[in-house]
Amino acid sequence: MTEADIDEGIAGAPAARLTDRERLALDFSARMATEPEALDAAVYDALRQHYSEEEIVELGAFIGFNIGYHTFFGTLKFYPMFAPDGRLVSQEEAAQIYGDKPVSLAAGRST
Amino acid sequence: MIGIAPLPVDALEDQELRALIAQAAALGVPDERFAGIVARVPHYAKALLRAMLLSHAGGSVDHRLKEMIRVQLAGFARDPYFASLRSTKAIGEGLTEERIAASNRYENDDRFSEAEKWALRYAERMYLAPHEIDAAFYAELKRHYTEAQIMELGAFIAFHYGMQVFMRAVAR
Repeated sequence: MTEADIDEGIAGAPAARLTDRERLALDFSARMATEPEALDAAVYDALRQHYSEEEIVELGAFIGFNIGYHTFFGTLKFYPMFAPDGRLVSQEEAAQIYGDKPVSLAAGRST
Repeated sequence: MIGIAPLPVDALEDQELRALIAQAAALGVPDERFAGIVARVPHYAKALLRAMLLSHAGGSVDHRLKEMIRVQLAGFARDPYFASLRSTKAIGEGLTEERIAASNRYENDDRFSEAEKWALRYAERMYLAPHEIDAAFYAELKRHYTEAQIMELGAFIAFHYGMQVFMRAVAR
């Protein structure tokens, strides 16, 4: 996985090189975060073509856990302790590097 | 139903998992529906149930307050599953349905202490407007709670928020 893959996944526009399986998981995550009630039988039918029931539960629990904790950590204004080049940095410097939006290290490096 | 069907708890062979499910059933939160769904991934189920039990019934923040917060969050999320559950421990400690209902209109209710109101505001803002929780908000929370208690509340709110999203997605 590359930083470009992560950025494209966050942007909601998965690259053509991502598999259908990966796109479905990313779509499942995005819908859980924004409209979980819109996950209808067709979505689960599509997921079941690529994932077992166990894997869907694993994905759902992982996504739910992260939705909750990202919201909490967001209120703490908690930034990575390290700069993209590996330096240990203060929270103030990290805030300048990474900004307010959930961008990956690659995007952080370019700002 | 849409999503994932729960496994029958009686058919589970993992005794450690069954003990945790029994512990959760005794508390009343979560019940066998949540447990039966996450039991499809037993090592996840054990971690999730332990975290849910500890964050809800453990710690030093009043369990009755956390129960009101949990129901309040389920109301915001329009999550019928978690909204329908009640902690037997909280009820045993005197929490009533009338007080749970009142917690939806806590701001002008003198029956809620300032500390309780700030905890309820914390959960409300976390769900509806997390960007409004700033340094000044945390400074006010620290007038009523220790840093450990604020982390206990924040982690509890985040965990239940996440698990409510999970149930809204997979169990309908």
